[in-house]
Amino acid sequence: MASKSAAGKEKLIDDDEEVLQAVILADSFNKRFRPLTTRKPRCLLPICNAPLLDWTFESLALAGVQEIFVICRSHAEQVKTAIKESKWSKPGSGIKIVPIMTAKETFSPGDAMRDLYTRGLVTSDFVLVMGDLVSNIRIDEVVRVHKERRKTNKDAIMTIVVKESGVSHRTRSQGESSVFVLDSETSECLHYEPVTGYPKKTLAHIPRAILAEHPEIEIRNDLIDCSIDVCSVEVPSLFQDNFDYLDIRRDFVHGILTSDLLMKNIHCYVAKDGYAARVKDTKSYDSISKDILSRWTFPLVPDDNHPSGHTYEHTRGNRYISKDNTVSLARTCKIGINTLIGSSTQVSENVEIISSVIGQNCIIGPGTTITNSYIFDNTTIGSNCSLKQSIIGAGVSIRDNTTVEKGCLIGDGVVVGPDATLKAFERLSVKHEAIPEVELDEDEDEDSDLEEVEENQDSLTKGLNLGRDSNALVWPREPPSDDEDEESPENFRNQRFMRFGDEALDLYSSDAGSVSSDDEESSSDEEDFLRDRRGSMSGASDISLPLDMPSILPGAATVAETEFKSEVTQSLERAFAEGHSVDNAAVELKTLRMASNVSLSRVREAVVAAIVEKIRIVEGGGPSQRQEINNVIERWGALINMIGGVDAVETLSILQAHCASSPRMSLYGQILLVLYDHDIVEEDDIRAWHKLPEARGEGHKPGEVMDNFKKCWLIGGHMLQQFDAQDSDESGSDEGDEEEEEEDEKEAGSKSTTADEDEDDSDEEGDDDDDDDEEESESE
Amino acid sequence: MDLDTVKSDLVTREFLAVVLAGFGNELLPLTNDHGDEPCPKALLPVANKPMIEYTLIWLEQSGIKDVLLICPSMHRPAIYHHIHSDVTTSALRIDLQTYDESQDSGVGTCTLLRQFAPRITGDFVLVPCDFVPPPSLPLSVLLNKFRVDSVSDGALATTCWYESHKPEKNASPEEWGPIASPTLIIWDDLSGTLLHIDTPDDVDRNVDEVELRMSMLSQYPKTKLSSKFQDSHVYVCRSSVIRILQEKPHLDSFREEFLPWLCKIQYQKTKREKYKKALYADSNVSSQHLALEHSTLLPHSDVNQVNARSTLSMPPSPTEEDEMKDHSASLRVGITIRRADAGFAIRVNSIHNFLEINRRFLSGTTYALPLDPKNRSLIDQKAQISSDTIIGDSTQVSERTTIKKSVIGRHCIIGKMAKIVGCVVLDHCVIEDGVKLDGCILGKNTKVGSKAELSRCVTQAGYEVSPGETVKGEKLDVSDWTAAPEENTDDEQDEEDGSDETDDSDDVK
Repeated sequence: MASKSAAGKEKLIDDDEEVLQAVILADSFNKRFRPLTTRKPRCLLPICNAPLLDWTFESLALAGVQEIFVICRSHAEQVKTAIKESKWSKPGSGIKIVPIMTAKETFSPGDAMRDLYTRGLVTSDFVLVMGDLVSNIRIDEVVRVHKERRKTNKDAIMTIVVKESGVSHRTRSQGESSVFVLDSETSECLHYEPVTGYPKKTLAHIPRAILAEHPEIEIRNDLIDCSIDVCSVEVPSLFQDNFDYLDIRRDFVHGILTSDLLMKNIHCYVAKDGYAARVKDTKSYDSISKDILSRWTFPLVPDDNHPSGHTYEHTRGNRYISKDNTVSLARTCKIGINTLIGSSTQVSENVEIISSVIGQNCIIGPGTTITNSYIFDNTTIGSNCSLKQSIIGAGVSIRDNTTVEKGCLIGDGVVVGPDATLKAFERLSVKHEAIPEVELDEDEDEDSDLEEVEENQDSLTKGLNLGRDSNALVWPREPPSDDEDEESPENFRNQRFMRFGDEALDLYSSDAGSVSSDDEESSSDEEDFLRDRRGSMSGASDISLPLDMPSILPGAATVAETEFKSEVTQSLERAFAEGHSVDNAAVELKTLRMASNVSLSRVREAVVAAIVEKIRIVEGGGPSQRQEINNVIERWGALINMIGGVDAVETLSILQAHCASSPRMSLYGQILLVLYDHDIVEEDDIRAWHKLPEARGEGHKPGEVMDNFKKCWLIGGHMLQQFDAQDSDESGSDEGDEEEEEEDEKEAGSKSTTADEDEDDSDEEGDDDDDDDEEESESE
Repeated sequence: MDLDTVKSDLVTREFLAVVLAGFGNELLPLTNDHGDEPCPKALLPVANKPMIEYTLIWLEQSGIKDVLLICPSMHRPAIYHHIHSDVTTSALRIDLQTYDESQDSGVGTCTLLRQFAPRITGDFVLVPCDFVPPPSLPLSVLLNKFRVDSVSDGALATTCWYESHKPEKNASPEEWGPIASPTLIIWDDLSGTLLHIDTPDDVDRNVDEVELRMSMLSQYPKTKLSSKFQDSHVYVCRSSVIRILQEKPHLDSFREEFLPWLCKIQYQKTKREKYKKALYADSNVSSQHLALEHSTLLPHSDVNQVNARSTLSMPPSPTEEDEMKDHSASLRVGITIRRADAGFAIRVNSIHNFLEINRRFLSGTTYALPLDPKNRSLIDQKAQISSDTIIGDSTQVSERTTIKKSVIGRHCIIGKMAKIVGCVVLDHCVIEDGVKLDGCILGKNTKVGSKAELSRCVTQAGYEVSPGETVKGEKLDVSDWTAAPEENTDDEQDEEDGSDETDDSDDVK
């Protein structure tokens, strides 16, 4: 191996004198390994008994890299120490490793790249990898291809190394994969589409425009993205220029490919041989461990080139036992295939270990069964325990008769048992006070998480038997209530695809359901067509008229709508309470509307509703009620027409609709009158509204709401008849007269004798009216 | 003798060829009626041989015996006359069927197939009359692919797509209408499976992007997408395709509607469920599934299927189990890709292509003076005829006439001092003295008056160009409302028609 790296180096030096640089992003920028990573960075977690970072160094050394910058963020000191102690830091290793501490404010790979740019460390084309890479791909070959391409095409700024596999390869995450669209000839990457397991991606969208220049392209859904990128010097500067690039794939690659201005190209290198994968999540931790044990990563295997320098004896069935004769195996223990046991570990009688990795200095008590589990160094497991598909941190003590079901993650130093039972996917870490103070202040943000976990211990430990000696803290099982946005691959359900031991079968089945429901609809082509049409329509309406068909729009739109409604109500309540001026309130509403991108009518609806609800129902009705209405409308009524655009007919419809389904139904007639008095609605508007078929309650299911609609319509009708009567009485009357009239009406209303007047005015109307009037007066 | 009869009884027909001969509206004005007599597209000559000949010979060479030839009823006499007068295709049993339709209203292939479904009992090959395959692509290549696919994993059909040639610049004028744009398709190279055909509906739905189902991409993770290829309209289909067609009565166009739909069956489970009766009735797979079941290579039921089964409250009955197994038939649509370097394939579905295919044939021929002394005497010694030219029988070429890169039909009369470059002149044309033709297609019985100059024109059968006229880049139709010349042409026609038939019968003898 050493000779190989030397050979690669020489070749590079021959090619050109430049030193091949690599940048390792040693931070994961996510929390998938918690609580294992509360006291340790992910890149120092051991896989097959060697820290991930060492595997990464080994992979890069294999490629002839001479200078490595390690960008560390969380637990940076630990990483620094680890690098200092690594065999690569020894003189004569031929590799220079420089740890770089980046600020705590570096929250994404994009920030790290910007940091890299400001430091100006890279001087030539470099290899960008993550700190959790396990690979035996000859990256120097990729670099050569990349440089060759750069000679003819200066815009080819990046070469992504992807590994050919299958769709459902075990190291290809179901939760986070991608579709690459490549040019068949040049393997230029033309389109990149990230795929998540949840929300389930059903359609891939490939822009037609790329066909113009590339008549034949390949769509690849079988590639493992191993996050090995050969980048040109300008890549960090592109991050600098585009400060919104966060993720290297979702933002940077997508941004470069879709940009009309940058005119840069990204190429893919499809590796047919070799192995490369990232320990992105606990599931891939499992699968990569298995890959290493099954020697896919040769020459990087436990019995040769082990990154931590351990020596293992490889025996039939991929069993690896430490070679230094310190392992003590009881005569009756059973060691299954694909198992690795570190030095100085003691395995007692009747122990069964299948497909597992046991660290150094572990003690496994008699009668214990360990299947598909990973146990880090210095852990003690008592007698008659059962461990399945779990990852157990270093220095853990699992006491006798404990059962650990699949998917459990147990952080360093935890004590569980005796007689404890851990349910599937339980996550444990050490309690706060158990952590020495020195380590605590290192990570403040994570600390806050811990505190939160601690606060909720009571509810979390309920019904859980952790054993009397336990010092464990239970991590929440359910997604946090304020779950991050569904779009991000970090959402809880999508994370389940990446969880060790989780088959996510329910998600599969639900997605199978969605697929089949898709197909059921499409089982007849007309429906298929309709569905697609509807789909596209609702898709379009998301942009243009988002809330015009709320009943059809599921999901995001309705959420946005309810959100907006509550926002409006809140802002109005504030305005009412704090006595804002109408102008200010209007401005606030306008901003809200812009921010939520909803239609004007929706705002009006909310405003009318809020104003109506603002009116107190005065016991006994009468003049005081009328005064209350008058006060409210006088103060706030103008707002209705100030939110942008005057549409009194719509206002009337909304008022009707709101009153019909509100306890303030009885106030409808009076509100209408007051609105008219304050010139918020005009007579013509009322007439126009009255003619609308919806005003009669059409399109509603028969029932109370429908009845209320009819009542409102009739009340409107009475008003109009009054208007007619006035017109005929005093045709040609001047403004003063009108005012008088209005005052008359007010009086009439305040005396709650509108009904009588109505009767006077419209004798011919007959029974219907009478009923209505009775009801109205009743309610008053 | 006894042995022979027994043998012939045992040999069952494997494929029925269904040849569709339509009106050829896309070739107007060449396919416009010549007076009362129609000019079927199938009989338009390509390098002096009716188009349909190429198709029939292609079929015959692949060993197919039975042909169902479907044409519009008004074309029947002409086509009937042709197939019964031609000796070369005597080995085929041609069943000529007609449908009633006028030139204006198009009837889709699906509709036709449904109409003639009772006559199509087994697997069939759907062939258009206008596909001119290269010699490097025998039909047996497609048939063999179908045979292998349908037996090994239950494929439904096999299609053939060819890389459309890049038209040379200025090869044909824009006035002849737009060149058909190739279709966007997605296929799996490894298994030769056609996965997706972009339809106009897809374009309507999303102009900027191609939408692909992830279920397809996970089943076929390494696919190719291209818009370089055109459909040959040759489909080898299993008989169940006819049954599916009958269940989808609203589909009309085979290529634009039915085939894209058919491609989806292979990765959409509920579609299979719905149409399984039609699909599995004659599945070859049933005979194989026991063997396949024991195969270690065949992946067993996937996650979804396990779930589907576990949700069934009742234990599945043995018959259901069998049906489930039947589902392992892939029902895919095969694809054969013809790259441009593998030989020139073309469909004569536009005037551009008509000219193009004629030119292609020219490049492969060398003109020699006819050996028959009677024909030879018609060609003047002083005529200059380049070697890449085809001149039909009984055509007269007068002195000092130059002909280059052209196909001249039979019984034409070409006057003195004419200059014909890059043209296709169909039968019975009269070209008078001093005429200049460049890149033209002359329908049959076209008459070009003396000293007329035509450049890049297409004429309808029986059109007359008056002497001295100069026309560039136009489609010339016989207009009905110009009464006087029409009478003339009609008269001529009758005469010509009479001679036509006698000539043909001469040929046969």
